[in-house]
Amino acid sequence: MADIKEKANNAFRFDGNWQDFAKIAFPNLLLTIATLGIYRFWATTRERQYLWSHTSFVDERLEWTGEGRELFFGFLIVTVLVGIPFVILQFIASGMIFRGMQDYVLVMGIILFLATWYLSGVARFRAMRYRLSRTRWRGIRGGSDNPGFAYGWSYFWRWMVGILPIGLLIPWTMTSLWNERWQEMSFGPYTVQSDAEPAPIYKRFLLFYIPLLLLVPMGFAFQSSELEGGMGAVLAFSAIVLVLFIYFGMPLLSVAYYAKFFREAVNTMRWGDVEFSFRARTSDWIVLYLIDFLLISATFGIAYIFIPYRHWKFYVEHMHAEGEIDLDAMTQSQTATARHGEGLLDAFDMGAI
Amino acid sequence: MEESFRTPAQWYDGQSAVRHEGEAFWDGAGQLALRSMSSNLDTALGELVFAEERGGQRVYRWSGDDDFRLILPADLPAGLAAALPSRRKYGAWVDGLGLGKATVLFAGVSAGLLALFFTAPDWLGPRIPTSWERSMGDALVGDFGNRICHTPEGDAALAKLLAKVDPAEEKVRAGIANSTDVNAVALPGGQILIFDGLVQEAETPEELAGVLGHEVGHVRERHVMTALLRQFGLTVLLSGMNTGVGDTLFGLAAMDYSRDAEREADEYSRARMLESGISPTGAAEFFERLSARIDYDEDSLLGWAASHPGPGERAEAYREAAEGRRFTPVLTEQEFGALKTMCEEDENVEVMQSIV
Repeated sequence: MADIKEKANNAFRFDGNWQDFAKIAFPNLLLTIATLGIYRFWATTRERQYLWSHTSFVDERLEWTGEGRELFFGFLIVTVLVGIPFVILQFIASGMIFRGMQDYVLVMGIILFLATWYLSGVARFRAMRYRLSRTRWRGIRGGSDNPGFAYGWSYFWRWMVGILPIGLLIPWTMTSLWNERWQEMSFGPYTVQSDAEPAPIYKRFLLFYIPLLLLVPMGFAFQSSELEGGMGAVLAFSAIVLVLFIYFGMPLLSVAYYAKFFREAVNTMRWGDVEFSFRARTSDWIVLYLIDFLLISATFGIAYIFIPYRHWKFYVEHMHAEGEIDLDAMTQSQTATARHGEGLLDAFDMGAI
Repeated sequence: MEESFRTPAQWYDGQSAVRHEGEAFWDGAGQLALRSMSSNLDTALGELVFAEERGGQRVYRWSGDDDFRLILPADLPAGLAAALPSRRKYGAWVDGLGLGKATVLFAGVSAGLLALFFTAPDWLGPRIPTSWERSMGDALVGDFGNRICHTPEGDAALAKLLAKVDPAEEKVRAGIANSTDVNAVALPGGQILIFDGLVQEAETPEELAGVLGHEVGHVRERHVMTALLRQFGLTVLLSGMNTGVGDTLFGLAAMDYSRDAEREADEYSRARMLESGISPTGAAEFFERLSARIDYDEDSLLGWAASHPGPGERAEAYREAAEGRRFTPVLTEQEFGALKTMCEEDENVEVMQSIV
């Protein structure tokens, strides 16, 4: 067979429209309500099927092969393994309080918190693994052989190290976890490479971090100061400026940091001979979130069902890829596939697209 | 037999990403032959599985090989379209019924389940054997870790008071907890706690008898089990609905009784008091005093003084019960004194932290 080489330039395209998506989203909403939420697993699947099939990479559409019942079983498994023990622990805790063992309950609470922290790392990993294993392009799928339990520990200690020096190492936490997670993933025969570095995003991080650090003593200063006379007016004015800054300035700065982080993270990714880049600037993210907010508030929340659509479209339209793909060498993934969906992620409420 | 038909087709063999472009020949019966420069395949129509429809194309999988993909144009002749597996949209059940019917059916089942779920504690609670409740209660609350006050005189006085409002052979277990909270609770397993703070508020033993009788009423009418089931159900429901494991910190402290349960417990208390010749007037005054002074969380089991029937209405019912009768004091001055000083005189008892 001939050695086919495809030039992949600006390779991602999205050709869905919100009217068609609405025909999926509204019945989904109806059925989800009528089934007390049980249908949401099938709803998610239908939405993904739509979004994936309207997303092209080079010259072929993606295909979502996940099924509602996988997500449902994932949810059931987590309910049994995590939910029921958790409910029982709560009753044990009440019993212990009645026996006067508050200290032990506190210790138990801390252990539970740490366990949740660890499990949320595992959940993020497994969700990504599931999504890749259910994504097909030209009949080929992705996946990972790693079950993600080791990543859970990484997630645990890297966030710990990132937060302990009053949060100064968070960019390192985020980039190193991004790399670690992606490097365990593959699509077809190729493992993903990811070399995100914290140094390029530090300036943006400090732009967010230093004001945050200054806000704390300023808050205390305002609380302890007496509002009298001319000085009071100055203080009141600065207090207004401060509040405005907290509600508008800080979110903007955090978006600016995240935009930079995401560009750095995606731009260092390679898959086979393909290199990726993400070209959304801070202003693009702000427009995305602002319109989300306006839509949701103008429709009393109903537009919430379009958020997955809007965000998927945003990601696809700002994703770029360059390089060559040898289609003959692009063979089927040999990774193990989990039979159940992203239950853990669902349980920890991180189940956005 | 339908006429045979040929149509452009694409397929992926699932082994590599190479796309095979050629034609699909339908023999008019159950066979489909795929022919291209690079690949020849034959398949029975019955082995194809509908995957999805997308922009003018239909995608089929192959039951023999999950990786295989066949892509056909969406506008196929009716005969072939009918022979191919039908398209799925919402999921097998909904597709079978139609969206409207399925919605109505699901909503009906959901409403039934919800009704069952919310009424279950009321009919299930009283049917759970007392012995089960007792072991469950022991597991849940245990012995309070030495936070119950004991003196020989106080214990005797409490036993005497309890005997008056709980004539049953096997008494409920009652104790005075070393806590300054003005409160009383009936806990799973027929355990009653009167907090020392409430004992100190009481001016006559009749007032305490009213409180104790009310809590005994909760135990005897099986309200505790009902409330426990409701609480357990809510915890499970909430953790199932939003699945946010972190934010359903419900405990026993959030358990509450219904308005009817409170009224029943009051009726029980009044009946026992009258049987034993205890004046309900004291209880009436006590309720009024407490409710005037204390602003508790209305819905909490532990917010005893604010328990549901309006305080005025409640005191009235107790006063009516007292009309035209003569009563003897339920405890002597000495016995009442022993109850009051029980926590102070017990040197070994530890302090119970506020549970709410």
